[in-house]
Amino acid sequence: MRSPPIWRLVPGQRLVHRCHDGECVLFNDLTGDTHLLDESALALLEALRQAPQSAADLAGLDGLPDSDPTLLAELDDLLADLAALSLVDAAAGGQPC
Amino acid sequence: MLTVAGLGPAALAARLRGPGLRLQTGPFVTCVHSPLAGLAGTLGAMYADYPVLAEGSVADFHVRLSRSTGLRRFVRPQVHFHYDGMAPFQPLPLDQAFPMFEWAMNWCVSSQANSWLLIHAAVVEKGGVAAILPAPPGSGKSTLCAALVNRGWRLLSDELTMVRLGDGNIDPLPRPVSLKNASIGIIRDYAPAAAFTRPVADTVKGTVAHMRASSDSVARAAEAAAPAWIVFPQWQAGAAATLVPVPQARAHMRVAENAFNYSLLGEAGFDAVARLVETARTFDFRYSVLDDAIAVFEQLLAQRA
Repeated sequence: MRSPPIWRLVPGQRLVHRCHDGECVLFNDLTGDTHLLDESALALLEALRQAPQSAADLAGLDGLPDSDPTLLAELDDLLADLAALSLVDAAAGGQPC
Repeated sequence: MLTVAGLGPAALAARLRGPGLRLQTGPFVTCVHSPLAGLAGTLGAMYADYPVLAEGSVADFHVRLSRSTGLRRFVRPQVHFHYDGMAPFQPLPLDQAFPMFEWAMNWCVSSQANSWLLIHAAVVEKGGVAAILPAPPGSGKSTLCAALVNRGWRLLSDELTMVRLGDGNIDPLPRPVSLKNASIGIIRDYAPAAAFTRPVADTVKGTVAHMRASSDSVARAAEAAAPAWIVFPQWQAGAAATLVPVPQARAHMRVAENAFNYSLLGEAGFDAVARLVETARTFDFRYSVLDDAIAVFEQLLAQRA
C-alpha cells in the first residue's frame, strides 16, 4: 500500500506576501509570478514552511478529524493548485527528497 | 534656462538637422535628430516650454526620425524611427511623424527606465497628492486626464506613471496628452484655450491629436507627488459618476497588470506595488459627464483635507 504524499514548500520559497481583508498577494520568488490567494491558502503554505506534512496531517492542524473525506478532498485540490503554481511539491510517502 | 521657444524655429530646426536637440522631459534628456521640417514645427509648438540642454550634453536616449530614401521619397513617403541606430518599429506614413515621435518617446522610457516602477497610467496632482489613472485604451483615461488638467490639476503624465522604488513618490514626466477619435472634439470643446496639434487620421489608433502640457506642469517637472488614489476609469454613456472601492489585494494584481516592468523588477516591483496600494485608495470609476467626474476628484481631495 502506498503512503500518502508528503507535501513541502518548494525549497527556496520565502513566501513574500501581503494580506488585506482575507485576501493575500504572494510574490513567488522562484518564478517571479505574483499570486492572489485567500488566507487559508497562505496558512497552508506557512504550515508547510514549518515542516513537510501529508494532507491528513494538515487537516488535523485545525483540530478537524483527519478522516473527513470532504476536507481531505478540498485540501488535495488546494495542494494541487499550489503545486501548479510551483509553490509546493510532493514526495510519495516518507520524507521528501 | 534655454527652452525650445527660446531657441527659435530656425535654431531648433538646425539642431534637429545637425548635432541633435537635447530635450529635457522630466528626469530624462533625449537627443533628437530629424531633418523633417513638419516635425520641427509641431515639436516647437508642443514643447515650447521645455528645457534644452547644450550641445554635447549627456543624453539618456538618442533618437532619429527620418524620411524614406529612394523611390519612397516620392511615393507614399514614410517616417522611420531609429533608436541608437536600431529600428524597433515599422515606418509610418510621413504625416504621422509627430505621433510616432510621441510613441517613440514613450517607448524609450517604458523599455529602459527601470529605476522606477512604470505603470501604464495617466497621473495628475493637486495639493501635493496624485491620482493615478491606469486603464486600457478606450476607457477614457486620456480624456479624463485632459479634462482634469484643464480644471486645475497638474499633469504629471498622460501615459507613464513613474513610481520611485525608494520612497514610493511619483516623478512627473509631463508631455503632450494623446487624444484619439471622439475625444479630440470633446476636449477641444471642453478646453478651447488649450493648444492642440492638427489631427492625424488613419493611425493604428485611429485619428490622433496631442494637447500641449501646461507651462506650469512643465515648470514643475522636478516636483514629485505622493500617491493618494488609484482610479480605474471607465467612460460609459449615461453613467452617473460613481466610485467603487477595490479591495487592496485585487488592486495590487490590477496595478501589476498595468505595469510595464513589474516582472522585470521582481521583488522590488512587488514591494513597490504593495506600498502603493497600501498608501493610495483604489477605486473603479464610471462616468459619462466630465464636470461630474471632476467634481468626484475634488471630493476625494476635500476628504483628505
